[in-house]
Amino acid sequence: MTNTSSARLAAGLLLVWATTTLADPRVEARRHFKTGMFLINEGRYDEAISELLEAYSIKPHPNVLFNVARAHEAAGRAVEAVNFYRRYLDTNPPDADKVRETLNKLEPLLPKKVEPVVEPVKVVEPKNDPKPKVSPAVDDATLAKMAALTERLEKAVAQAERRAEADSEGLQTPKEAAAAPAPTDDFGVPYEETVVAAARRSQSSLEAPNATTVITGDEIRASGLTSIPEILRRVPGAEVMAMGFSSSNLSIRGFNQRINNKVLVLVDGRPEYQDFLGVTLWPVLPVGIEEIERIEVIRGPAGALYGANAMLGVVNIITRAPGTGPRAEATGLFGNGNLAGGSFVASGGETLKYRASVGYLQADKFTRDYEEGRPDVESAVAEPNLALRSARANLTAFYAFNKTFSLAASGGVNRLFTEVYGIGLLRNFFLDGVGGYAKADFTGGPIKARFFWNHLNATAGPQYNVLGQRSLQTTLDSNVFDAEVLFQQGFDLAGRHQLAVGVSGRLKRLDWGYTSGLTEELHAAAFFQDEWRVIPSLTIVGSFRIDRHPLIDKGKPGVVPSPRLSLVFSPFEGHAFRGMVSSAFRQPTFLESYVNLPIPTPGVSGASVLTQGNRELKPESLLSFELGYRGEAARLGLSWDFAGYINFVNNLMVLSAVAPLTADAAFDARSQTYLLGRSTFVNDPGNYRAIGGELGLTWNATRGLDLRASAAVQTIQSVENAAVCGACTQAPALKLNGGVIYRSPVNLDVSADLSYVTSTVWVEREPSPSDPTQILNVRNALPGFAVVNARIAYRFLDDKVTFAVVGQQLAAAHQEHPFGNNINRRVFAQLSVQP
Amino acid sequence: MTRFCFSLVLIVVLSSCEPPPVFPGADRRQNSRPARIEGEVVVSSTARGNVVVLLFDAARPPPPTGTGRPLTFALVPRLRLFGDVGDFDTGPFVAPFAFSFVNPGQYQVRAFIDANDDFVPWYGVTNEVNSGDVGGAAIDSISRLPLTIIVPAQEDGTPTPVLDVPVSIADTARVPVDRPVFEVAMAGTNVPLTEVMLAGAPLALDLRVKPVTDGVMRQAQPIFLARFVDDNGDGMPDDANGDGVPDMWPRVVVRKMANEAVGVNPLADENDLDRNGVIDETGADYDHVNPMGGATIPADGTPDLVVLAAGINPTELAPQLLDAMGRVKTTPTPITRLPIVIRPTALDATDSRRPVPIKGVPEGRYAITVIQQTGQTWRVPNELQDGLATRFGLPVVPSQTFVVRVGPR
Repeated sequence: MTNTSSARLAAGLLLVWATTTLADPRVEARRHFKTGMFLINEGRYDEAISELLEAYSIKPHPNVLFNVARAHEAAGRAVEAVNFYRRYLDTNPPDADKVRETLNKLEPLLPKKVEPVVEPVKVVEPKNDPKPKVSPAVDDATLAKMAALTERLEKAVAQAERRAEADSEGLQTPKEAAAAPAPTDDFGVPYEETVVAAARRSQSSLEAPNATTVITGDEIRASGLTSIPEILRRVPGAEVMAMGFSSSNLSIRGFNQRINNKVLVLVDGRPEYQDFLGVTLWPVLPVGIEEIERIEVIRGPAGALYGANAMLGVVNIITRAPGTGPRAEATGLFGNGNLAGGSFVASGGETLKYRASVGYLQADKFTRDYEEGRPDVESAVAEPNLALRSARANLTAFYAFNKTFSLAASGGVNRLFTEVYGIGLLRNFFLDGVGGYAKADFTGGPIKARFFWNHLNATAGPQYNVLGQRSLQTTLDSNVFDAEVLFQQGFDLAGRHQLAVGVSGRLKRLDWGYTSGLTEELHAAAFFQDEWRVIPSLTIVGSFRIDRHPLIDKGKPGVVPSPRLSLVFSPFEGHAFRGMVSSAFRQPTFLESYVNLPIPTPGVSGASVLTQGNRELKPESLLSFELGYRGEAARLGLSWDFAGYINFVNNLMVLSAVAPLTADAAFDARSQTYLLGRSTFVNDPGNYRAIGGELGLTWNATRGLDLRASAAVQTIQSVENAAVCGACTQAPALKLNGGVIYRSPVNLDVSADLSYVTSTVWVEREPSPSDPTQILNVRNALPGFAVVNARIAYRFLDDKVTFAVVGQQLAAAHQEHPFGNNINRRVFAQLSVQP
Repeated sequence: MTRFCFSLVLIVVLSSCEPPPVFPGADRRQNSRPARIEGEVVVSSTARGNVVVLLFDAARPPPPTGTGRPLTFALVPRLRLFGDVGDFDTGPFVAPFAFSFVNPGQYQVRAFIDANDDFVPWYGVTNEVNSGDVGGAAIDSISRLPLTIIVPAQEDGTPTPVLDVPVSIADTARVPVDRPVFEVAMAGTNVPLTEVMLAGAPLALDLRVKPVTDGVMRQAQPIFLARFVDDNGDGMPDDANGDGVPDMWPRVVVRKMANEAVGVNPLADENDLDRNGVIDETGADYDHVNPMGGATIPADGTPDLVVLAAGINPTELAPQLLDAMGRVKTTPTPITRLPIVIRPTALDATDSRRPVPIKGVPEGRYAITVIQQTGQTWRVPNELQDGLATRFGLPVVPSQTFVVRVGPR
């Protein structure tokens, strides 16, 4: 083999290596960037340039070009420096004027005719300057090395630009492509993990005033998982309780329950919280997994920014911006348990950018509650095995009038059948209907205005009807209209400030058989936040929000304040200490305020238990104190996050014990049954104290290999030492999670993750076996359980085709709630094509 | 690699069509295997109202043949059964009923039209028929006796539902009187008592009818229907237990109540804390006395159903209950005062046919229950007593607090 052919082979291998062996591109690029910056400071410019270009080839970023230029300049290579400075200027950076000044100084040093990209390396005699501006004299070996480096540089840049071109579906010039990564997303620090949800603006995770976790789109796709709750198991402190294939409840830091209502889930800032029930119906989301750019999770209260229901945390699902990502992607999957689905996503546009998607997914239940042909119950649905059937479509468009004004509009619809596990005496429900939304976002300089409409129209009822008993099937029509105006501006006053002020209003309309006719509520809110960077290493974040609720003051309109104060101290680069005190609340849902439902007493056909709402409920409230530390060793690809908290929770809204009714109210004419008693939503007089800690580690161990581990411990206590404390025993004391993603150089990708949750005891209501007219609180022990998900994939045709086999719930079959399915393995094949 | 992928896909395809297995969680309903009883209520009556259908364990039938309480009940709404037909139409009217979650076993079904619209199943003072209601049952078409409905179980334990059970309700079974609502006074006095002590001597008491017409209570004309039992039809009063006292209707039961304690229903009987009419698995147990020799039989660990020896004083009533020939009247005689005698003798009536004497008389409260031949009953103390009535939205009737007390308070 000749030297030339060897070099070609090496270059080819390098190219293959550089382009196909990335687990999380951002993390890997960041590692190379940080190493490059370290080497620049060490004066090892050539090695630094090599690292920087490696980063750029993985994920193009304009600031890398700037730093490559700086390195060349420091190394005395003016031609290369000018070349990279010009490339940098093409991206319209905010410091363009300063760079032009630098260029003006460098250009006189250039030879008269400058080659556009590469010029033979100049060799300048060294001087006695301790920080030489020129490289030392080089021998032939060094020259050869430099030549190879230059060749590699060219290839890497070309590759990066091709990738950027592909990412922008070929509609942009390479220069525009270089600008595409939107430098405003990372505040000038390339490859920084960004968070939007924590302060309603893009900021580094290190600066975030809350404990946050970001799950990237690459990570999501590498997992192969089909459900968002399953993905969220990896969030430290998160508790995912899968009741069935399509019914999961998410909580953060305890207080999980059937129909969990204390975590606010957003899709691009639009709440997916179903106000009538207080639950997130995950299958209703009109976007597919493949459209997700990243998921940001705020672990802890965020009421100061998001108001009601952001009590234990916020999950913000951010989808790919219109016009970004693959031009087209088609995915199909097929597996056991009648699992089948497919999706198609198209993205493009030049002036008017768009992303359109359609998708279909169906799956059977993990297990059925009852067999067919029983003499006591019958299925209320035509397909009793079915857990989920969802056909969805979504369209998002973006138009920028100029650099200041832009408009984004989106809408989606989802025709679905899913299951939901009810509370109290209720069990597995079906929900068959249509969900949809429409949303518009207008940006005009510092002002952002948003409007959305959330809609759900469905028939719902128990999956199984008791023969001889009245059915609880009902219809519901929910419409939520929301408008918000937000003003965000930065200014200097004894330090740098980032100010955000906003107002919002929300109209909720519900027509539901479980309440009495059409019910409306009008809500309003105002909020304020200032991030004050007192000194470069210290930021104080003060937030305050006030929410108006029509019933919150003993059945009359009232307001609920939600303050937050955070201090973020970064004494060293890459390390941030955080302290926060915050309060948050959850407002009563329509169910809790208005429900008026006689629920048949099992085994007593002529009797019901009346479940009634309460219009005088106080909001559930939480006061949280949190300390956190986030750090990284970027050159090692290692980052960690620790959070310790103490939460005080009170006024939980719960169903009261069944209280007897007076004799004159014992007969319910509507249901034609005798009312055994009444269970009303009340504020739990108990107070709870939750103490816990979370530790998360991520390690980009080596090229293509990402490792992740987290642990969360918690204890919840009744302040009054109550004898029966469901909230205390239902929260697992320990949650562990670990994961690995490996993208091998031979196009084979592997990922796996493991979660383990310790045992719990669930206090649930059941009719007494000896006398069904008596409703008992029964303690149900639930053993600890492990969840293992894994994916193995092979990429063909320059990564355009990926075939994967995904296994979900590969560990032992288990329940995650005493009334839930026995969750067992789902294995499916997945084919993804990006033409 | 291709072969591996192909194998995986094959496995997936083959397993994709398997239906999900059945897995009962902790939900008790999913873990039980009950059946159901379905049938039709056939009404021939001018009475109008909801029809209450009651299910009894065949081994514990309701009064007057037993003291069983309904296991469950179903309701056939008036509108579904009668529609909007006129009040003089006797039907027949037919509507379905069903009992869900019925375990394998033997059952009896009773029913009635709640013509007064005053039935409330949750309180002892409102959960029986009154004057004007029309009774019925699932009747054997040949013997005309209550039908015993058998819910069988298959070999694997799966019960088989029983369908097409006919329940007949007819005007011929219209209830003629209100329940025997009473208050208690010392014999020969008119002052109602709220408590009386039973010591070493028999206690003579008068039970006097007490009309209660307030709110949901519509017992305007309570009455005792008195009659000597003459099942053999010889015209002479029977004495089935051979105690020398003629058997009579109504029957009087004086049963020991549960000790007052936190969490215990203040009206609960001893060893029936859940008030389902069945002796609890654990509870108070007493030494018995061998009736033959008087020897003590140590407590056997089985909870006892403790009653006091009590009955109607027949001497005083005999003239009213016998005809001019000195024979038992064939129809009951309505009376407003029932003289009873309670003796300081306790019995374990777990087997009501063979009550066993208990050593001594257990201390505590005792309730008096009167059972009419119509199956109607009344018991003091009950929910009309002060302290409970207000909570339940019932009228307060102080005399309904009455208890017989043995030993210190």
